[in-house]
Amino acid sequence: MLSIVVCVKAVPEPKAAEDLKIDPVTKAIPRHDIPLEINPLDRNALEAALHFKEQAGASITVISMGPPPAGDIVKECLALGSDEGILLSDPAFAGADALATAYTLAKAIEKLGEVDLVLCGRASSDGATEWVGPELSVFLDFPVVTMVREFIQFNGSSWQVKADIENGYRLVQVELPAIFTVTQDLNSPRTLSFSGIIQSRKKEITTWGLKDLALPANTVGLAGSPTIVSKLEYVESKRECEIIEGSLDEKLDQMIGKLVEAGAV
Amino acid sequence: MGDTKYPVWVIAEQILGEIPPVSLEITGQARILAERLGVEVEAILLGNGIEDQVDLLFSAGADVVHLGSAPEFTNYQCEIFTESIVARARDRNPQIILIGSTFMGRELAPLIAAKLGTGLTAHCIDLVLDDNGVLEQQIPAYGGLMSIVCPEKRPQIATVARGVFPMPNLDEDRSGSVLPVEPPQGIKIRVQTLEVVHTEPEGVPLETAPIVVAGGAGAGSLEGWLEIQELADTLKAAFGSTRPAVDEGWTDLETMIGQSGKMVNPDLYIGVGLSGEQQHMVGITGAKVMIAINNDPKAPVFEQVDYGIVEDCRIFIPALVERIMKLKSHAGRTAHVV
Amino acid sequence: MIDFTLTEEQELFQKAAREFAETKIAPHVPEMEETGQSWDPVIKELGAGEMMAITIPEQYGGLGLGYTVRMLALEEIARISVATAMMMQVGGLGIDPIVLFGTEEQKEKYLPGLATGERFATVAVTEPTGGSDPKGCRTTYKKQNGSYVLNGRKCFITNSHIADVQVVLALDEDNPEAYSTFILEKEMDGFEPTHIEHKIGMRGCNTGEIEMKDCVVPAENLLGPEGKGMRVSMTAISESGRAGMIGCALGLQTACLEAAIKFANERILYGKPISRLQAQQFKIAEIKIDLEAGRLLGYRASATHDKGERAGNEYAVAKYFTTEAAQKAAKMAADIHGGYGCMEEYPVTRYVRDSFVLGPSAGTSDIMKVIVSRWALS
Repeated sequence: MLSIVVCVKAVPEPKAAEDLKIDPVTKAIPRHDIPLEINPLDRNALEAALHFKEQAGASITVISMGPPPAGDIVKECLALGSDEGILLSDPAFAGADALATAYTLAKAIEKLGEVDLVLCGRASSDGATEWVGPELSVFLDFPVVTMVREFIQFNGSSWQVKADIENGYRLVQVELPAIFTVTQDLNSPRTLSFSGIIQSRKKEITTWGLKDLALPANTVGLAGSPTIVSKLEYVESKRECEIIEGSLDEKLDQMIGKLVEAGAV
Repeated sequence: MGDTKYPVWVIAEQILGEIPPVSLEITGQARILAERLGVEVEAILLGNGIEDQVDLLFSAGADVVHLGSAPEFTNYQCEIFTESIVARARDRNPQIILIGSTFMGRELAPLIAAKLGTGLTAHCIDLVLDDNGVLEQQIPAYGGLMSIVCPEKRPQIATVARGVFPMPNLDEDRSGSVLPVEPPQGIKIRVQTLEVVHTEPEGVPLETAPIVVAGGAGAGSLEGWLEIQELADTLKAAFGSTRPAVDEGWTDLETMIGQSGKMVNPDLYIGVGLSGEQQHMVGITGAKVMIAINNDPKAPVFEQVDYGIVEDCRIFIPALVERIMKLKSHAGRTAHVV
Repeated sequence: MIDFTLTEEQELFQKAAREFAETKIAPHVPEMEETGQSWDPVIKELGAGEMMAITIPEQYGGLGLGYTVRMLALEEIARISVATAMMMQVGGLGIDPIVLFGTEEQKEKYLPGLATGERFATVAVTEPTGGSDPKGCRTTYKKQNGSYVLNGRKCFITNSHIADVQVVLALDEDNPEAYSTFILEKEMDGFEPTHIEHKIGMRGCNTGEIEMKDCVVPAENLLGPEGKGMRVSMTAISESGRAGMIGCALGLQTACLEAAIKFANERILYGKPISRLQAQQFKIAEIKIDLEAGRLLGYRASATHDKGERAGNEYAVAKYFTTEAAQKAAKMAADIHGGYGCMEEYPVTRYVRDSFVLGPSAGTSDIMKVIVSRWALS
C-alpha cells in the first residue's frame, strides 16, 4: 500500500487576497482576520492521492505549515478523505521563505518514516513561487517532476507521467519514492461531503513544533531563510487615465476612434 | 561596489537546438549587472550539437560559455542537468545566477538553489544592485513593489520571464571563451524524460503581438468569454487572460498575462472585464496605448491605463464587434467601388 | 453567556452544502426555470449528495445529524434554487413521520432507500377542502379483509409525481373523529399522481395532485396508532416542516442580498454606482437586518429542536418572520434593479416569484400568527 504525503497550504480566499493592499498613505498593509482556504492546486494534489487510495489502496497524510488557524484547512482535508493531518506550527517557523519551508516540511516527512509519494500543488495562489516541491525533493533526496498533468502508468515501483512544457508535454518515467507537483488539468477535485465530515470526527490533527522536529532554531522560519524582504514600496501609476464619457453609442464611437488611431482597424 | 571577483551567471536554454529569446534577454541584463560589479558574465548551455548557438550568447553579452554538448543533454533531464550545473557552479562560485522562467527554468532553479543552500526569487520584474552590490530582486506584492534580497548566502538566484528585460543589441564582434561541460558520471538516474512532444501553438502568440486583448472574470461566463475572444479575432489580436479567468476554466495557463505568466509589449492593449490586479498589470507595462473596459469605475485598472470605459463588457463588447465588422465591410465596399 | 456561533463542524457542513449547491444544483437551474419541470436531475443530486440522509438515524443508513445542520443545508441550497430546497424539505416531511412513528419493520423497509435517494418521499395532507384546516380532510379509509382501502384526492402536494413513498392522512369512513396516516407506495393499485400544477415561482419544483381510487393499503402500512393520524402527520409539518421553510426563506434572503449588492455596485447612475446612494443603501440595510434577525430566530428554534425539546412555537415565530422577510427582501432587491428587475435575465425576478410560494407552504403567515398568539396568550 502506498504511503502518500500531500503538502497543503492555507492561502487567503481570493476575495480577501484582493483587499490585501498597501495603503497609499500609511504605506502599511492592513491587518485583519483573513479567511483562509486550501490552496486550490493543493486540492488537485489531494484529489490525486484520494484517487490512488480508491484505486489501489493508500494511506494519505496531509501536512501543512502555518499558524494555528491553518489547522482548519487540515481539518477540511481530513473531511475530504485524508487519513491523517499534521500541522507544523511554531512561532519559530514564522517568516519562512520557500527554502526554510521546504526544509521544515522535509524534516516532518522524514519523521513520518517510509513515504512513497509526496504530492504538492504546482504553486500556491498567494506566493506563486513553485519552489517548495522541488526544494523538498533536494532535502528528501527524492526525484521530482513538476507540472504533472496526467498520471499514465504505475508499475509498482515507478510512474510514467505527462508534465507540461511550453506548447506541449514531456513523458517522464520516475522511480518511487518521488515528488510530483501537479497542475489544475490533472483532475477535478471533489467537494466536501457530509459523511466525510462525520468520518473525520475520529481523526485528530497532530501539531508538531520545533522541538518535535528536533531542529535548531536557526534552520527554520525567518532565521533559516536566505531571502528577506528588504523593502515594500507603493508604486504610482505612470499613466494618466482619461475616462471616456457619454452614451453607449458615443462611447462606441470614441472606442472605434482609438482603435483607428492605434491602427488596429 | 561589493564582490568584484565572482561572475554573474546565466542558465541558458535550448529548445529544439535553438536558444529562446528569454535566455538572450537575461544575458543582456547579466551584462549590465556584471559591468556595474566589474565582473564577467558566464552562461551555461546544455544540449546536443549546439555549438553553433554559442556565438549568440557571446553577442548578447557573455564572456564565458560553459558548453555541454552531448547526447545525454539532448532533452532536459532533471538530474543530469542539475548535477552538471551545480558542480560547475561550485567550481566557479557565481555571485548571481539568472534563470529564465521557462518550464525547465522553473524546475531547475529551486533544485539548484536548494542544492547550493541559497535563496531564490521567483518571476522578478526588475533586478537592480543596491549600493553594496547586493541584488535587489523586485516582485509585485500587495499592490506595491517588493524588493527581496539574499544578504548572506551566495549565489543570489532569480528567475525572470521572457519580455521583462529587452532583447540586447547583439554585437556579433563580441567573443569569449568556451569551457566544455562533460555529462556527469556515475550519478543515479531516477527520473528520465522519455519523450518531448511539441504542439503548434494556436492563435496569435502573445509575446510578439502588436495588439493584445485580455479578458478577465468580468466576462461572467464562457459565453461572455467567447465574445471577448471574438473581439480579439476581429482585431487579429493575441488573446490573453488573467488568473481568475484561468481559474474559471475558460482558458488555459498558457494564455495568462502577468508576473507568473507572460509578459507582453504590444502597441495596443485592451483589457476587458478585468479589475487590474497587479500580478496581471505588471505583464503589460511595456504597452504603448492601453484601454480598459470595466463596469466598476473604482476598479484599479482605471488608474493604470490611458483610456477607460465604464460599461458592462457583456453589453459593450458585442456592440463593439458589430461596429468593427460594419466598418470593415463598409471599407471593403468602398475600396471595391473605387 | 449565550453562544451565537455555529460550531466548527457546523461551519464545515455549511461549507459542504454551499459547495454542493454551487457545483451540483446551480447547473440545473436554467432548465428548471425554462420548463417548470426537469426536476429529475436535482432529485438525483440530492440523493447522491447525502442531503436526504441528514436527519435519518445512522442505524438506518442516515447521517444522524440534527435540524440545525438540515436548516443550514436548506439555506445553502435555497440560495441557489428555492425549488430544489423545497423538494428536499418536503421529502424530509415524508421521512420524519416514519422516523418518529414508524415500526421497526417500516423503518428498516423505507429509511435506507430514502437516505440514499434511491427512493423519495412526501407527505400528503392538504385537500381542496382545506390545508390550513387539516380536519377538512375528505380522503377516507375503511378496513376490508385485513387491509385498508383509501379513496380521495390530495392537492398542492410537493413531490406528488416523484415521491415513491407518500405519507397520506385519511379519515375513517365510519368515524368522523378518527384520522389515520398511511405509507403509500407509488406502485399501489388505485394510487395515481394526476394533475401537475404550474406555480408562480419555485419552477422546477414538482407540485401536483394525487388520487386514490379504492387504493388497497396493507395493514402493516398504517403509520402510528390508528386514529392518531393527525398527530402523526402534523408533528413533522409543525416542526421540521416549518424549519424547512425557514431554511428556504433564509437562503432566498441571502440570494436577494447578494443580487442587490451586486447590481448596486455594478449599476452606474450619475457617474457612480447606485450603491453609493443612500436610498439604495437603506434597502440593502433592511434586507441585511431581516436576514440577521431571521437567522437568530431560525437557529434558536432548530437548536431547541436538536436538544429534543418541542420547538413548534419558536419555529412558528421564525417561519412567519423569515418567509415574510424573504418576500420583502425580494421586492426590495427587485426595486434596486429598477427596470432590470422586470427582466427575466436577472435572477431577482425569479426570487420575487419564488418568495410568493414560501408563505403558504407549511402553514400560512396567518396560521403562524394563530399559533404565536395562542402561545402568547397561554
